[in-house]
Amino acid sequence: MHRQKPHTRWYRLDNAGVLYSALQKEEYSAVYRFSAVMTEQVDPQALQRAVTRTMPRFPGFGVRIKKGVFWYYFEPNHAPGPFVKPDISNPCQPIRFQEDNGWLVRFYYYEKRISVEVFHALSDGAGTLTFFRTLLAVYLEEQGVPISWTPELLPVDSPPRSAELEDAYARYAGKRVLREGIQPAAYQNTGTAEPFYTLNITMGFLPLDAVKEKARQYNASITEYLTAVLLKTLLDKQHRENPVRERPVALAIPINLRGYFPSETLRNFILTLRPCIDPTLGEYTLPEIVSYVHHYFRLHLNRQEMRAVLTGNVRFQTNRLLQIIPISLKNPVMALGYHLAGVRPYSGTYTNPGAFTVPEAMAPHIQRMEVVLGQDTKPRVHCASISYGNQLEITFAGTQVETDTEREFFRFLVREGIPVKIESNRVC
Amino acid sequence: MSYCVNCGVELDAAAEFCPLCHTPVYNPGRPIDPRTSKPFPTQPSVVPPASKRAVSLLITAMLASMAAACGLLNLFLRPNRAWSLYVIGAAAMLWIWIVPPLLLRKMPLCLKLLFDVCAVAFYLYLIALDLHGSGWFWPLGLPIVCWGGAILLLLGLVFQGGRSVLTTVTLLIGGIGVFLLGVEILVDQFLLGGWTPGWSLVVLTICIALIIPLIVVRRVPSLREEARRRFHM
Repeated sequence: MHRQKPHTRWYRLDNAGVLYSALQKEEYSAVYRFSAVMTEQVDPQALQRAVTRTMPRFPGFGVRIKKGVFWYYFEPNHAPGPFVKPDISNPCQPIRFQEDNGWLVRFYYYEKRISVEVFHALSDGAGTLTFFRTLLAVYLEEQGVPISWTPELLPVDSPPRSAELEDAYARYAGKRVLREGIQPAAYQNTGTAEPFYTLNITMGFLPLDAVKEKARQYNASITEYLTAVLLKTLLDKQHRENPVRERPVALAIPINLRGYFPSETLRNFILTLRPCIDPTLGEYTLPEIVSYVHHYFRLHLNRQEMRAVLTGNVRFQTNRLLQIIPISLKNPVMALGYHLAGVRPYSGTYTNPGAFTVPEAMAPHIQRMEVVLGQDTKPRVHCASISYGNQLEITFAGTQVETDTEREFFRFLVREGIPVKIESNRVC
Repeated sequence: MSYCVNCGVELDAAAEFCPLCHTPVYNPGRPIDPRTSKPFPTQPSVVPPASKRAVSLLITAMLASMAAACGLLNLFLRPNRAWSLYVIGAAAMLWIWIVPPLLLRKMPLCLKLLFDVCAVAFYLYLIALDLHGSGWFWPLGLPIVCWGGAILLLLGLVFQGGRSVLTTVTLLIGGIGVFLLGVEILVDQFLLGGWTPGWSLVVLTICIALIIPLIVVRRVPSLREEARRRFHM
């Protein structure tokens, strides 16, 4: 077996990591979770062995975050762990940098479910899914399942490649900057806040082929169709609340940039799009919203525009003036900036990492996949979806007491003729 | 399998109600088996409360050190006057305000306020001792402190259950008005031997005038909703 050389060097956070680190607090969680529901009960010992074998292959996940004078930075974490734990009812708890031996990833098991929670400063959904896929392969191997190490799995006995740790934002940053300025405030979709330590999760399970067929009827992709349904749900909800003035409804849609800028990085490499419907212009039907979202994506998903936007983000990190401001002063300013540019102009988030694929040998052992986003800065819900086989899973997660958004969203899909099965951690 | 009659969604076998609309599940053909495992765990993760003992010890050490240093200095600097009593009294008052609430997490509000009022009264007494002011301390200083403490206790008890912003502001303004009325009565009693209505009535009138619109908004549901919507309360 190849003996891996321990990763010893510190490295800088990418620009998404800088933001998430500055924002992390008790009332906001930049943590997301992927879960795989297996066909058999999870064996915690085998899972722990799998984690221990897998972590050294992914040095980008085996780090702790340290506070420098001007910026946070990552350094390899040589503390014991991370250890697998029995699952909890309130997942995606905020990361506390000093706790849990400094680990920024967590592993949980519950009956047949294996979950991994990752601090967003480490990696985005695509990077974490690569890590999780490999972890599941190692776990199944520990269970005696013969695994063929196809290219979509990273062999745990081989050394990590430097390309997996590259800051792809910095690599693809160009010269021209595109800044759209501060967007206007959107409908906030907030409700009554739950007590602390509560995260309400509602999952809907849908047949993928039925959703695909429905989206095809609107000449749209699944992401475009579900984005449109969520926009429609929020527009109708705002209208029912009868506000003095209706605000635009806008969603934050993270886009995986690896499809546009080739990169093997397992760190963050995403940008956010903002499809927005202004109800003061008139009533929109679902086909009109789907058409708008479809063309909005076509218009903005191009290499040139995205490169100019990410260049602006990278410039923030390399700005000489900002570099010499101490981190304690920079963090509150970044939190305010995030509120103005990342919270106020949005009604919610919808992310779709797409289809989770595994080698043939693994497929019979995995029943389904799930994804959960951590709590927002406000009591409102985030939406995320992931598909595996012919099952599409959609999660609404938030600290809001009311269930209006998810209820109307799933009822809308039922009315569209798509069967939906619901599971939730709500206790009343 | 059960379906929600309102939402039309299929429900989990262990579900006792629809998570979307809270409609109870009633399926005589498939009663809920309590032994069926829930889709999610029920045990939440809670961060254990950090020990406040170390912080309490540090604060105690700092205040005690400050009091002792000033007491020693008083032996050499103007020893004919006990000026260090001001510092020692302030340190004792701060200690009573900060440390017991840190150590006793579930300290009742009445007890906490009683401690705080006693601390203020004690500090005032030390000042009176230095200034030979027992003449004003007993008839004026102590009653004002007790009156303020009583109003704070009343407000604290009302706020304990959690009140809306409108109610909180209304009660605070009302509390200030009543406190100042009591202050004037006590001052007049001390100086003139009887209450001569004066400036406190002006303050009280202003407070009442400020409260009336708030009470109207609070009592009329449509106005209350409008205020909540406009001010995002």
